[in-house]
Amino acid sequence: MSQGLTPTLSVLTLAISAALLRLLQAADGVAPDVSKLPPASTVVIDFARDVQPLLNKHCVDCHGTEKQKGGLRLDNKASAFQGGDEGRVIVPDRSAESRLIHLIGGLEPDTLMPPKGEPLTGGQIGLLRAWIDQGAHWPDDGKVVKLRSKHWSLQPLQPVEVPAGTPNAIDAFITARLQKEGLALSAEADRATLIRRLSFDLTGLPPSPEEVDAFLNDASPKAYEALVDRLLASPHYGERWGRHWLDVARYTESQGFEYDKIRPNAWHYRDYVIKSFNEDKPYDQFMKEQVAGDVLEPVTRDGMIAPSLLVCGPWDEAGNAQANVTQKMITREDELEDLLGVVGQTFLGLTINCARCHAHKFDPIPHEDYYRLKSVFEGVKHGERSIVSDDELKTQATRKKLQEQIIAANTRISDLDDLGIRLAKDRHKELPKEVGAAPYASWQFDGGVVSLMPGKFEGGAASEGGRLKLQGNGAYFQSDPLPKDIREKTLEAWVSLATLEQGGGAAISIESQDGGVFDAIVYGERQPKKWVAGSNGFVRTQDLDVPVETSSPDSLVHMAIVYRSDNSIALYRNGEPIAKPYMPGSPLQTYAAGNAHILLGLRHHGAGNGYLTGGIQRAALYDRALSDAEVAASFRAGGFSIPQAEILACLTVEQLAARESSLAEVQQARAALEAIKKADSQVSYAGVRIQPNPTKRLVRGDVHSEAEVVTPGALSAVMDVESDFGLPADAPEAQRRLKFADWLADGKNPLPARVMVNRIWHLHFGQGIVTTPNDFGGSGMRPTHPELLDWLSAKFIESGWSVKSLHRLILNSATYRQSSAFNKLAATKDADNQLLWRYSPRRLEAEAVRDAMLAVSGEINLQMGGPSFQGSSYANPDPNGPEFNRRTVYRMNVNSGKDPLLDAFDCPDPSVKTPRRGITTTPLQALELMNNAFVQRQAKGLATRTMQAAGNDLPAAVRTVYRMAVGREPTAEEARLAEAAARERDFTSVCWALLNSTEFVYVK
Amino acid sequence: MSNSDDLSTDLNSNDSAPFSRRHFLWNSGGGLGAIALAWMLDQDKARAMAAGPTSERKPHFPAKAKRVVQIFCAGGVSHLDAFDYKPELERMHGKSMEGKGENLGFFGQPGKLMKSVYDFKQHGKSGAWMSSLLPHLAETVDDVCFIKSMFAKSNNHTPAAFQMNSGFTLNGFPSMGAWLSYGLGTVNENLPAFVVLPDPRGLPAGGSINWTSGFLPANHQGVAFRTQGGDPIPDLRTPGGVLPAAREADMQLLASMNTQFANANPDDGAFAARLHSYELAARMQASIPEATDLDSEPENIKKLYGIDEPANKGFSRNCLMARRLLERGVRFVQILNGGIFGATPRINWDGHENVKENHDAQAATMDKPVAALIQDLKQRGMLEDTLFIWSTEFGRSPATQGVGAPGRDHHPTAFTCFLAGAGVKKGFSYGTSDEIGYFVGENKVTIPDFHATILHLLGLDHKKLTFYHNGIDRRLTNVEGEVVKGVLS
Repeated sequence: MSQGLTPTLSVLTLAISAALLRLLQAADGVAPDVSKLPPASTVVIDFARDVQPLLNKHCVDCHGTEKQKGGLRLDNKASAFQGGDEGRVIVPDRSAESRLIHLIGGLEPDTLMPPKGEPLTGGQIGLLRAWIDQGAHWPDDGKVVKLRSKHWSLQPLQPVEVPAGTPNAIDAFITARLQKEGLALSAEADRATLIRRLSFDLTGLPPSPEEVDAFLNDASPKAYEALVDRLLASPHYGERWGRHWLDVARYTESQGFEYDKIRPNAWHYRDYVIKSFNEDKPYDQFMKEQVAGDVLEPVTRDGMIAPSLLVCGPWDEAGNAQANVTQKMITREDELEDLLGVVGQTFLGLTINCARCHAHKFDPIPHEDYYRLKSVFEGVKHGERSIVSDDELKTQATRKKLQEQIIAANTRISDLDDLGIRLAKDRHKELPKEVGAAPYASWQFDGGVVSLMPGKFEGGAASEGGRLKLQGNGAYFQSDPLPKDIREKTLEAWVSLATLEQGGGAAISIESQDGGVFDAIVYGERQPKKWVAGSNGFVRTQDLDVPVETSSPDSLVHMAIVYRSDNSIALYRNGEPIAKPYMPGSPLQTYAAGNAHILLGLRHHGAGNGYLTGGIQRAALYDRALSDAEVAASFRAGGFSIPQAEILACLTVEQLAARESSLAEVQQARAALEAIKKADSQVSYAGVRIQPNPTKRLVRGDVHSEAEVVTPGALSAVMDVESDFGLPADAPEAQRRLKFADWLADGKNPLPARVMVNRIWHLHFGQGIVTTPNDFGGSGMRPTHPELLDWLSAKFIESGWSVKSLHRLILNSATYRQSSAFNKLAATKDADNQLLWRYSPRRLEAEAVRDAMLAVSGEINLQMGGPSFQGSSYANPDPNGPEFNRRTVYRMNVNSGKDPLLDAFDCPDPSVKTPRRGITTTPLQALELMNNAFVQRQAKGLATRTMQAAGNDLPAAVRTVYRMAVGREPTAEEARLAEAAARERDFTSVCWALLNSTEFVYVK
Repeated sequence: MSNSDDLSTDLNSNDSAPFSRRHFLWNSGGGLGAIALAWMLDQDKARAMAAGPTSERKPHFPAKAKRVVQIFCAGGVSHLDAFDYKPELERMHGKSMEGKGENLGFFGQPGKLMKSVYDFKQHGKSGAWMSSLLPHLAETVDDVCFIKSMFAKSNNHTPAAFQMNSGFTLNGFPSMGAWLSYGLGTVNENLPAFVVLPDPRGLPAGGSINWTSGFLPANHQGVAFRTQGGDPIPDLRTPGGVLPAAREADMQLLASMNTQFANANPDDGAFAARLHSYELAARMQASIPEATDLDSEPENIKKLYGIDEPANKGFSRNCLMARRLLERGVRFVQILNGGIFGATPRINWDGHENVKENHDAQAATMDKPVAALIQDLKQRGMLEDTLFIWSTEFGRSPATQGVGAPGRDHHPTAFTCFLAGAGVKKGFSYGTSDEIGYFVGENKVTIPDFHATILHLLGLDHKKLTFYHNGIDRRLTNVEGEVVKGVLS
């Protein structure tokens, strides 16, 4: 302290020092020995560069927005200088007196800050001291100073100079680095090796002997380049590289969790990915489609399927349906973390998901950024949606126009009818004084005309005697499409039953146009003589303890069901509640404008036993939840009818003419609609969309600790593209994803190109320039060849994000073409071959092992696309037949259904984002190749096929089988052994051994 | 980065079990020929290079337990009706539950408080309270350490079961057995390091997701033995149509191919590892049938487990098999009691409708064989260095599910598990739940705490057993977990 108490101090600092002194004395009564502190650094301090990162990394977890231990915050200027409960911690110009420095320097007994994790180094303390000594300058511009992280992957792509001396740029970079270690590239591999390497690498299939011969005999200097082009043009290229992408996308075809329910319609995404690789779809477009394809203009079929990426991981359906609200919220947050995880890791190589509970520990991703991104994707939920062909999309536009026309005309008609009713009512003194709440739409049956919301009578239903007469057996009434979104609602009907001994019919039902979703007032379906809230698959239905219906035939009963926004459902009979409202297992449905209608007398289309026998006097749909009192009032007021003739008589001639022409317009438009042939629509597990509430940051990720509202945005650490989307917190969810898509594909965002280039490189060489392909952040590995990565990234963008161009660049290099021969000297310097002094031998992945067996046995079924085949399962371990001999990428990718053969070859758990396959060699793997029935079958197939081709000449068959299986002729000794084995036992023995051989499952 | 994805090249361990000629026991299904064997036995380098990624590894500090057996009772065993005696609940029987905040049940239909449907009394020298539900286990109370303050994150079966098995409530995280295989390897390469014995009535909900290796290398995945008959693992046996002698000759041909390939590329360890893997595979063909064959067990042992008693529905066989596997060096055996949800009648402990009816039926399968396993391990001295774990995913609510109904809903915020064996206190009870068993009273033990303690007993520091995956050095215990010192002997 002596230093701080020199007589030259100003009055102000004296006062501060005195306070600090008191504080320190209060703390332990002994002044700390500041001579133990590391010296202040001599550099000129830049707060944003030198100080803030230290505070953020080491202090703000406990002294920031989340927690303020000791009342102290170090995340904004005002609080930091104000200090904590025990007073100030920063004394400008006086680092030796600043308690902050004492605490991080370990001068206070028992209190070293930070209390957990690595203590600050002497150099870091020196920087903080220098900052304080230089005046503790903290810029005023807001609490968060946006600074460019120094982390390599967040820097703009750097223009790089290709090292001189080698014509191929890749070789130049690789050679320059090898030379530093006194190493060089290996010689080029022989042609037989190269074609086998290239074929597996690009198509995942072995070359046929004919293809090998053609390449070996091709005298053209461009033979290799031509081979690369041929393989890149093969449709099998997309199957191979699409599978790589599916690993990263954690593509699953089942829900995981409790029931691991199959998703029979998830395969569209797999086909989309394969098609995109085959078409060499520009990668920027590929990215954009996968986050926002369903809302990108023009909408395409690809675009509708592509965002399956967001939902093709596991989903806890039971967790979403359960009763406990907290647990449900956590389940949803888990879903979103998985979604943000796949988006962040796949496209950006950043583990954004790590910032759900706090600022990212290693990367400059503030807590807030996680929630801004969450806001982007909060409207995406799991589920299936319709997808249609591109042709259908065009007709959809026409259809939509016609539907809008119908809706507009109907609205005009109902407005006029409303007017007529109001006028007519004045003449009807007998009507009850009390009038119920105004329905959104209602139907009143009188003299064959329906008022207010037109529709059509079906199956002999008719308006008779003031009621819609329903004689059962197909009779019902269907309204035109409802012109607005209906969510919260009340269904109501005055209904009479011809007999109580019936069941399954509905008084009124609201149904989506495809019939997939409905809510209805249903009579006697599962419980005789009881009313129930019917729904698709009973998902919102509960069999309640309600009284049985006792009304005499044809007497009217007033039934109402209220569907509230909290998802509760309440049933009423004659104005009285008949059961306690309940919470169904499935959420309140939204019936989209133009895509739903009302049915009277029918439960839903396609229902067995779904027709009501009886009559309906009046039915109504309210676009809100009526209260108990309103339902009661409606009952007291209801049931009246005014003949439509009277209503129309109240209108003027002009009004009547307008009404007529509107009616005609509806009829014409409906006829036109029906004339448009509806293409087969399919559903795909591409997710559904909701308009979410504004997103709030959740403190520590706790669903009950909501903090401020955040607006949609991207990562603030990407400095050269605006991460604030300028959208309000309640912006339409589609807009949010569109903005994000643009942000992602902006050429100034350095991450997507670097990450994809590295994936391609990794897959060609077995390891990436960055060996953690999903993690370009602080805990990931740094690039071995940063200039090469940037050079390739720039080329990639320049080529219009062409993945195939990138393959060509890499595959035509001498680096790729070199031999895999071992080199002891090089291995002592670079055992992992990170510098690429040779081509590393590669074990085939599980899919390639299986596909290669099918290919050589001739059993392979090369049918592309479409629904997946069900592979080996616990129940049926060895499915056999051509449909099961398709390439493995078409196998149903279920979470709990494992194939022991594929498993043994490190086929990953599909729910895990897998940027890099494991390579293990285990006894279970050997057992699979030895004994698995599929392998035996392929061995036999290979034997039969080659023996036939060789005209039963054993030596010829041996030569052929080697050429088929390992792409070369056998040596004399190999041929001798093989022939002996075949004579002694069976030619299948030789084939079995070859399929088991190291050479078969490795590429050199 | 603490590891490499390609563990086949990470073969510097000196702990691998040395080769021994007398271990080359071949079953009639075939095996390596003498020539190939001689080649392999002469290849010192192959031996060093090919020590598998599962060969034994040293723990972080001396371990109390060398191996683990875990009983997992699927569906949620009611702590209130089995282990956690609540006189206050008897007093409150039939009253409304108040002051406990948001209803924690899965179905959200809380009824009135319900006392245990079984009578409780004290057992053993330790005087531990146990209900009449589990009479055989009640006889083992002096050997076990109850933890009555367990706390799970989820009230939903599968996430909760995933948490008990992998530390996380989500798909895709490595199960505890996979972590142990990764951390400690195996002492017997002729058997898998991590074996799962599913209930003979069927696989649990989520199936193999429960024993996945997640992002760990696939060789650490649990190997689920088929316990409904047939071979214990698929593709163990030489196919029917292949004569043993022919297979042996085929193996020689293969060995010559692979030997030649390995010799042509002598410095690539992976090729030698492949040769070694075939040798181990052939040994497994003998060792797995031997380990799982219960016929050789003496009658008194069979009787102890109740092998032929129909009441346990074959579950006793799994318990006895587990002991044989542990004896032979399997690191982690998980015995599952209970199958999928949705079966009628229920085949797990999910007593929503009627807890007594349900638990009576389940206890009949579990009680005697598990008590026998504890007793058998003890009489062989194996309990000294074997950790026994009895677990379930959560407990059941003190209130009924629905008014007037005799069932209980899921309950995650207080339940009971117990440990026994190596390094664990005997005849002890740790932690409490509150007066009606709703929340933890004292000494809360979260699943990460539970896992940290298990790893500790195996000589592993749960904070140091890590594997880098997509940005994070992952742990079984995520960023939580404290060793529960209070249960350590």
